[in-house]
Amino acid sequence: MERIGVFLCSGCGIGEALDLEAVKRIAEELGATCTIHPCLCSEEGVAALCSVLDDGTNDSLVIAACSPRSQCRVFSFDAEKTTVERVGLREQVVWSHPAGDEDTQAMAEDLVRMSIARMGEEKLPVRLEEEIADPVLVVGGGLTGMEAALAAAGMGHPVFLIESSDHLGGALSGLPEVLPVAPPYDRPHQSMIPALIEQVEKNDRIRVLLSTKISSIKGQPGQFEMDVEGPAGAEHLLAGAIVQATGAHPYDVSKVVGLGYGSLPDVITAAELDAMLASGRLARPSDGQTPKHVAFVQCAGSRNSDHLPYCSGECCATTMRQVLTLGRDFPGTEASVLYRDIRTPGQLEHLYQAAQEQPGAFFIRATVRSIEGSGDGRMSVALEQTLLPELTSIEADLVVLATGMVPNSADGEAIRMLHDAQNRVEHGESDVQKEEAQKIVDELRAHEGTEILNLEYRQGPDLPVLAYSFPDSHYICFPYETRRTGIYAAGAVRAPMDPAQAMEDAWGAALKAVQCIEAAKRGEAVHPRSGDIGVPEFFLQRCTQCKRCTEECPFGTLNEDEKGTPELNPLRCRHCGICMGACPERIISFPDYSVTAVSAMIKAIEVPEEDEEKPRILGLLCENDAYPALDAAAQLGKNWNPWVRIIPVRCLGSVNVVWIADALSRGIDGVILIGCKHGDDYQCHYIRGSELATTRLENVQETLDRLALESERIRIVELAHDEFSRIPTILDEFAETIDELGPNPYKGF
Amino acid sequence: MARTNVLAPSAELREELRRRGGASAQRCFQCATCSAVCNLAPDGQPFPRRQMLMAQLGLIESLAADPAVWLCHNCNDCTVRCPRDARPGDILQAVRSIVIERLAMPHWFGSIVAHARSTWPLLIGLPLAFWVVLLGVTGHLTMPARVANYGQVVPHVLIYAVFIPVSLWVLCAAWMSGVRFWHLLGSAGPPRRGSFIGATFSTLGEIASHRRFALCEAAHPRRWGHFFLMWGFIGAAVTSGLLVIALYGFHMEMPLPLDHPFKILGNLSAVFLLTGGTMLSFQRIRGGDATGQTTAFDSFFLGVVVLVAVSGALVEIGRFFFSGEVAGWLYIMHLTGILTLFVTFPYSKFAHMVYRTEAMIHQKMTEEG
Repeated sequence: MERIGVFLCSGCGIGEALDLEAVKRIAEELGATCTIHPCLCSEEGVAALCSVLDDGTNDSLVIAACSPRSQCRVFSFDAEKTTVERVGLREQVVWSHPAGDEDTQAMAEDLVRMSIARMGEEKLPVRLEEEIADPVLVVGGGLTGMEAALAAAGMGHPVFLIESSDHLGGALSGLPEVLPVAPPYDRPHQSMIPALIEQVEKNDRIRVLLSTKISSIKGQPGQFEMDVEGPAGAEHLLAGAIVQATGAHPYDVSKVVGLGYGSLPDVITAAELDAMLASGRLARPSDGQTPKHVAFVQCAGSRNSDHLPYCSGECCATTMRQVLTLGRDFPGTEASVLYRDIRTPGQLEHLYQAAQEQPGAFFIRATVRSIEGSGDGRMSVALEQTLLPELTSIEADLVVLATGMVPNSADGEAIRMLHDAQNRVEHGESDVQKEEAQKIVDELRAHEGTEILNLEYRQGPDLPVLAYSFPDSHYICFPYETRRTGIYAAGAVRAPMDPAQAMEDAWGAALKAVQCIEAAKRGEAVHPRSGDIGVPEFFLQRCTQCKRCTEECPFGTLNEDEKGTPELNPLRCRHCGICMGACPERIISFPDYSVTAVSAMIKAIEVPEEDEEKPRILGLLCENDAYPALDAAAQLGKNWNPWVRIIPVRCLGSVNVVWIADALSRGIDGVILIGCKHGDDYQCHYIRGSELATTRLENVQETLDRLALESERIRIVELAHDEFSRIPTILDEFAETIDELGPNPYKGF
Repeated sequence: MARTNVLAPSAELREELRRRGGASAQRCFQCATCSAVCNLAPDGQPFPRRQMLMAQLGLIESLAADPAVWLCHNCNDCTVRCPRDARPGDILQAVRSIVIERLAMPHWFGSIVAHARSTWPLLIGLPLAFWVVLLGVTGHLTMPARVANYGQVVPHVLIYAVFIPVSLWVLCAAWMSGVRFWHLLGSAGPPRRGSFIGATFSTLGEIASHRRFALCEAAHPRRWGHFFLMWGFIGAAVTSGLLVIALYGFHMEMPLPLDHPFKILGNLSAVFLLTGGTMLSFQRIRGGDATGQTTAFDSFFLGVVVLVAVSGALVEIGRFFFSGEVAGWLYIMHLTGILTLFVTFPYSKFAHMVYRTEAMIHQKMTEEG
């Protein structure tokens, strides 16, 4: 941008703490116009901002007032006409540093210099205008899928409901009763499936495709093109967004040695008992006799590191439902529930309480060691860790294993690795390479043919999975949002859940799908940078086909042509900039966020001479967690070292290592990066950003060591949003370290 | 505790507990809040969490041999704090009534008292009929115009002729039940090591001072009610003994003057009995979690105690204020109440005197260190 207007707000104590006239002189020296206003967020203040834009004096604004996280609505302008840079003088300078101090003033001046420099490198983004398809594709015709289809249709979108079997209903098909989904939650609920099937079939907007498989999906949100194969032959469909509701299946409990499933005829699974209860005839498979005492074994294979390490959160409630049904339909039958902990989350606790009151129900805390026939046609269940030492086994006529849920998902990344390895086995260059590839093939062979969505994505044909094969993104912060933009997971495929949760999930995912289609129509990013319009640009003439961007994008945004040149699908992009951080050639940039813009900011920092003994530290803070945490610390009146100059970044993954080189060669004494937690319980909004940054930084630190520059000058710290009280300490400690290391030897070069 | 490897859970006990006011055991989910808040539970053998589980599983044999059932003073701190409203206090109370019935000698008499809800008219009516018939047969049913001496209504010799054999019989029955219980207690858990005499003295000291009862939080006021009632009984028993000596050893003239030490002791006992009885009745009527469920088994025992105390007091003032007819019949009612109390002693709630004392002695003898 060329005509930069700097506005300094003197309200909220900024004017008293800083010499704003001095700041103004600096801005004007840098070629910007500069105005000091007593209250920029007032009507008069906003009018002043608008008037310089309207009369053409300025095309871009640097608003040096409060944090960019406050007064967002007041300071919002048409992104296609104006770029705006906010400088948080109030929080990060005035509230957190002594008024009238030389260092405080220097900090404010630097921040304004940096913003002007950045503004000089920014360009106006251009809004995408594409043809967007309205329909929602729902994959899976069970409870979640039908509910999601009805939800999306209710919001006015056409729906394709694809089901691989020949009937709707999914895992709950044929069950007369399911877990309660409505108050008082203390008894089994009549199955909602028949009514849902009727509603789905009656709905004009929903097209049900039974016995249908997806052969391929290509494109991007708003423009998914699908080939499906059904009884009527192949068909080509267009959809704007996809909801994957493929559900789950019970764990194969015959793998659990000792429980006797498969070898003892009277050991059955919860699903088999359900079928029995549905038929109205309770009979032992071995002799057809009615069992007098039924033992329920909870956590059959669940919460067991050799089988399902997780709790499905639903099997206990299912047992409660079965105990209640047994008591109601077969009075006099006794039931022992052998449990480690009863886990009936939420309202299902009422069901547990009702089952406890059942006259013939016994709740026995125990770990089941083994189940054996006891000779007289009964079975002996050996118990461990009971609450009574003398209680070491019980006898039962029928044993029911409460099995956990395994998602009906396909591991897209594993399938891709398998295919790549198969390719290397066939066309590998050396025998060593072929052997290594064969090992991978053997290891991943189970994934062969498991494809569900058949996405034509460079990173694999299905959603990437997280722990235990559940294809979710962040289950607390971003439920339903998978790592493929425009594709949402809902129901038991996303996380183990009961029908009430699945129905809620269906609505959540349907809303996300509709939101995505609407955002695509406006050419905006859908989440988490909702409303952002600037898509990345690739200067492909300089691309070396290193494939780092296509590999590292957490969202599979980039496909590749045959040579390996990236192909952008802008509507898949979440604008995090991880590709920008990855690119060694620095050819990827956003109009309003680029390698050169941040480099310019770094170069705008005034570095005092060595003899002034005032080190300078660059802080690159993730704008999602660390930067708001810094604001929160300032709001609490915390102080931190005034040598630090903060630049917010979209994600630590967007940090290009050239910025560190720029900083060190400018004489800046240290660089600290603060980003989100990574690992299994990651909090990174872009999933892998902070993790990638850590790896990249390790490489940089090695280089520094080779250059005889202390690697301690660079530090990367993980911080959660709620750890704001830690952040001043982190900065102060780093400043101390830098002080001990002494000045950067490159200072002054 | 029965040491069997296969414990068959049984739902039979559930109905039994329900009938005795303990319908809530199944709600327990073994969080052990009850054991944590109980001030009476010994550190090494906390209760009543474990007893709740045994009640759920129907393990009455184990419960019958468990001293914890009797170490419980029904403070109801557990019931007040139970997050699931499983009311451990009520469950243990119900278990105690089952144990009393199971150990009763003869068993059929235990069953009659255990069913006091329907049998109470019989338990009071029969002793009344007994007195009426006895007095009729011996020709004492005509009341004097004014009672100067209750020997005129019922000759002292008749009283002693009835109560001495009844007491002997009752003591014998209680002794047999007590011995059975002592063996049961010894059949499970850690072996007894300490001195029986020492443990007994220490237990009696605790009972005299109600030191354990004082640890109750929720039911704190009951401590004093029970304290007065117990000392009132002891006072009345001592007075009765002294009167036998006074009558037959020193041939003293009855009634004794009001300033006679024996009379003062007797009257003081009456005041204690009335105070304690009133306090406990008030607690029961007020109800609530701190009191726990009140069953017919509780009301019957407390009712008889109140009958004895109130009729006793009325008899004393009746000599001065009432006609001979009224005073005479009040005296017969008083003797009826005492007879019921005596006869049902090993089978009613009164039997806790034996079992709780034994459990406390057993606990002291098995305690580590």
